[in-house]
Amino acid sequence: MSEQSLLKVQNLSASVEDLPILHDINLEIRPGETHVLMGPNGAGKSTLGYTLMGNPHYKVTNGSIMFDGQDLTNESADKRAKAGMFLSFQNPLEVPGISLGSFIRNAYHEQTGKPVKLLQYKKQLGEAMDLLTMDGEYADRDLNVGFSGGEKKKAEILQMLMLKPKLAILDETDSGLDVDAVRTVSKGIQEYQKQKDGALLIITHSTKILEALHVDYTHVLVKGHIVTTGDGSLVDEINERGFEKYIRCEGCDGCNQIQ
Amino acid sequence: MSENNKAVVDIDRSVYDIKDVENEQDFYRMEDGFTEEIVRKISEEKHDPEWMKQFRLDSLKLYNELEMPDWGPDTDELDMNLISSYVRSKSDMKGKWEDVPEDIKNTFERLGIPEAERESLAGVGAQYDSELVYHNVKDEVADQGVVYTDMESALTGEYSEMVHEYFMKLVPPTDHKFAALHGAVWSGGSFVYVPKGVKVDIPLQSYFRLNAAGAGQFEHTLIIVDEGADLHFIEGCSAPKYNVANLHAGCVELFVKKGARLRYSTIENWSKNMYNLNTKRALVEEGARMEWVSGSFGSHTSYLYPMTILKGDHSTMEYTGITFAGKGQNLDTGAKVVHQGKYTSSLISTKSISKSGGIGTYRSSVIINKEAKHAKTSVSCDSLMLDSISRADTIPGMDIRTNDADVGHEAKIGRISDEAVFYLMSRGLSESDARAMIVSGFANPVSKELPLEYAVEMNNLIKLEMSGG
Amino acid sequence: MDLNMKVNHLPALTYRFLKSNDSQIDVKDLYIENTKTPEPESVPSNVNVKADATEADVKALFSGDNAKIKEKLVNLPGPNGDTAHLNDAQTVRTGMGVEIDKLMAEMNVPVTVITASEGSKVEEPVVIRYSLKDGECALGSQVIHAKKDSEITVIMEYSSEENAKGFLGIQTRLLAEEGAKINLVKVQMLSESIVHFDDIGGVCDDKADIDTIGMQLGALNTWGGCRITLLGRKSKFDNHTGYLCRHKQTYDMNYVADQIGQKTDSNMVFRGVLLDEATKIFRGTLDFKSGSAGSVGDEQEDTLLLSPDVINRTMPMILCQEEDVDGRHGATIGQLGDDTLFYMQSRGIGEEEAKRLMIRARMESIARMIPDEGLIVRIQQYIRTIL
Repeated sequence: MSEQSLLKVQNLSASVEDLPILHDINLEIRPGETHVLMGPNGAGKSTLGYTLMGNPHYKVTNGSIMFDGQDLTNESADKRAKAGMFLSFQNPLEVPGISLGSFIRNAYHEQTGKPVKLLQYKKQLGEAMDLLTMDGEYADRDLNVGFSGGEKKKAEILQMLMLKPKLAILDETDSGLDVDAVRTVSKGIQEYQKQKDGALLIITHSTKILEALHVDYTHVLVKGHIVTTGDGSLVDEINERGFEKYIRCEGCDGCNQIQ
Repeated sequence: MSENNKAVVDIDRSVYDIKDVENEQDFYRMEDGFTEEIVRKISEEKHDPEWMKQFRLDSLKLYNELEMPDWGPDTDELDMNLISSYVRSKSDMKGKWEDVPEDIKNTFERLGIPEAERESLAGVGAQYDSELVYHNVKDEVADQGVVYTDMESALTGEYSEMVHEYFMKLVPPTDHKFAALHGAVWSGGSFVYVPKGVKVDIPLQSYFRLNAAGAGQFEHTLIIVDEGADLHFIEGCSAPKYNVANLHAGCVELFVKKGARLRYSTIENWSKNMYNLNTKRALVEEGARMEWVSGSFGSHTSYLYPMTILKGDHSTMEYTGITFAGKGQNLDTGAKVVHQGKYTSSLISTKSISKSGGIGTYRSSVIINKEAKHAKTSVSCDSLMLDSISRADTIPGMDIRTNDADVGHEAKIGRISDEAVFYLMSRGLSESDARAMIVSGFANPVSKELPLEYAVEMNNLIKLEMSGG
Repeated sequence: MDLNMKVNHLPALTYRFLKSNDSQIDVKDLYIENTKTPEPESVPSNVNVKADATEADVKALFSGDNAKIKEKLVNLPGPNGDTAHLNDAQTVRTGMGVEIDKLMAEMNVPVTVITASEGSKVEEPVVIRYSLKDGECALGSQVIHAKKDSEITVIMEYSSEENAKGFLGIQTRLLAEEGAKINLVKVQMLSESIVHFDDIGGVCDDKADIDTIGMQLGALNTWGGCRITLLGRKSKFDNHTGYLCRHKQTYDMNYVADQIGQKTDSNMVFRGVLLDEATKIFRGTLDFKSGSAGSVGDEQEDTLLLSPDVINRTMPMILCQEEDVDGRHGATIGQLGDDTLFYMQSRGIGEEEAKRLMIRARMESIARMIPDEGLIVRIQQYIRTIL
């Protein structure tokens, strides 16, 4: 615990249209760490991802989000991105008229404020696309327009590799992918860990994507509460037995696991 | 068509078509046309207060100045000089069904009106030609303070000031030519007041019957639903078929106060010689909700576009309508909405069906004013063409004055797909039954908004239109 | 001279308070000095250009199709508020209507007729470039005639000196014979003090195809009309319009697909952005005439509103007198969606930059369909300059 924390979430509660979803979340991620957030459907996993990234639909009702020494609780999403946070979307935006390649270039320029060195940029983009087994022509295709589910997910990981955030939140990046695609995406994530010492928060309800990754911490989210936190082995346990023992009884707000 | 089917058609139509002979001893009929002399006579007949007499005369002046609209169905065959503005039975309005004159009672009995009241209504008004002949409210509803009376009584009775305050303020006679005509010769109709916080659980109903050939019906409906109150009002209309033009230029003014809700349902089945030039408008205050359910089946020619003004913040409206234009009909219907308040929302959903040379036009306007930040509107109109001698036209208009609005519009036109007919026939339905079933399914979003007995009536009307022709 | 005329008639009238039944062009003290269409920059073989045709020549050219149209349009009632009769006198029905014909006749505007010979596929586009000097007022009239089984692309580019004042009025009429295809591209990048109209009318024979791309990026007041008559069986009309209006610019348009033949197909896309105090009126009509069995039509409008002071009027109509057709219209009007903005922001792109990006994306999605790389670059530059 000697190292400075990268993300520090304290007593965070959030609601959507006045409906409370997240309750008193505490979470700390240090540089280079890989955290996994698991939980049954409807537990609020994606809400946590969106709230961390600052989606205006999700209102923080209590608590704070500190990132890299700054208080980002009330900042807009672009400020968070510039601070080094990244969210991979489940359903990324489609924009006709702007290519994937030029979108990433624009985002890179906005984040760094520096002019993009075109040759170097193209080389990096080509390498990253190769790694993700994406055909080079995707760079010239309109952002996510006509992309399959797998291609959209790869395009998100591609952006992560190019933008090099300090913390990447991957929201169900593996859902709806076939085995090969999961492997490819996983390769992209490993590359990110390797080259950037980047921290990760992987939101998932399956474990396939985690097989090849080193996991430092696992958190289980149930009905908006983090009910338990463990190391990487918790993933295997849940893989075998499911969430049954962590599910709280209706209306319960205090007691821990029901054995 | 099978013999069996035909028999059903004849019986059904006859219910609406039975005419009562109106003899001179029992009926008072104003001479035809619209002159100052006639308007003065009506005013005298009705013992108007002075302001109303002046209002009528001013309106008549406007009527003579205003032009016919150039955009709607043709009205060349409507000769205003041949329309009688006022016809009434010499009997007074009754509060007891037994006291209504026998022949009029028979007409309404055949249409099932008192039956409907006994079963599922909180109150009923029945207008025959120009005057209400029957009005009754259930005691438990009256005890809640709900007022449901004929306009004439309201004009001179306890609520006269309220009537004076609201009468034709929402639809001023300057609005258009037939609003002016209405202001000049209006007669009959209902006044409803629901006090603050009162929720009327079962609907109130008015039924309009125009029996006299060549007559006009100009009833005025004024409904005020006070803050937090809730009401469902139903109107039904019918008339027997004549070979001369009849005119309906009614006016409906609805005031939905803060937090209140009003649902206004109409099943219009005027006979096919009727020119239906009706004006309906609602003013909706903060957090209030206006719901329209409208079925247009009858009339020779219709101009009908209920309008909603979403004045208060967070006010909402929903319009669900269906129009079935058959042989000889030119039905130009739709809705209008003006968004004024912030966070207002409107949802317009219409279906129209054209058959046997009928002309069905969906016409609408959606206006979002600059102040109406965060307004949301969604319009969807579907048309179904059942043959190639009919017309189905979709003429919507939108005027958006703020960027902070969310506007969606969808229109579709098409036919019954051969695959759908084939599928149903493969399950044993005849082709005509299959087509009728598909049309009923098309109309379903509207019929499911209606109380059961009206949904049944609407489905019968669809079947009738599908097999007639 | 003074211009004072009603154009862009809605095919069926509606409520007067919507102020969209037609549009009034009022221009005072206009001195038209130029009525000649500039010579095309290069004329491929197989293409013939005749610079001084008369309206009588044009009438003769379209007479065969006009007779067929008359024959096919049976005497059934039109829509309520039908305005068809207003433009009965036109040689070819155009979007803006008969007043433009009258103006061209009054000013003796010569017609440039561009003809693609039978069976020829013209690879290189025919490029006509209008470049207005300050104070210049010009009218121009062209006919593009694609003979049987030919294909021709005509690109018209309107630009001007910076801050130039002036007037430019164009009428372009199209005749696509059996199996022929006309691609017409019009790109308007005039200075913001110029008053402009651009009127298109066309007829398609059997299996013929008219494909139009329009980009309205400049001028002060623009009126645009386009009316294509799909007369022949399996004829087709495709349109893509992109527009960008800012400051006090106005854009008033009237697009109509008259679908007469069997199995015709029309597809119209309008994508635009309104900024500042700009005004746009869109009229778009699919008109399925009796006998157009098997026809389909689709109209899609997508407008991005980026200022609280814009005015956006939309009149999307479907008129129908035929059972066996499938017609659709969809419109989405509003500001940048929350989800769009959040996605952009999550990648570090702030609100203002996100707006610029979305404007460019919209224009780009239309511009890239133009078969002229150089022109696309000029469009991109023009947009970058004004943003």
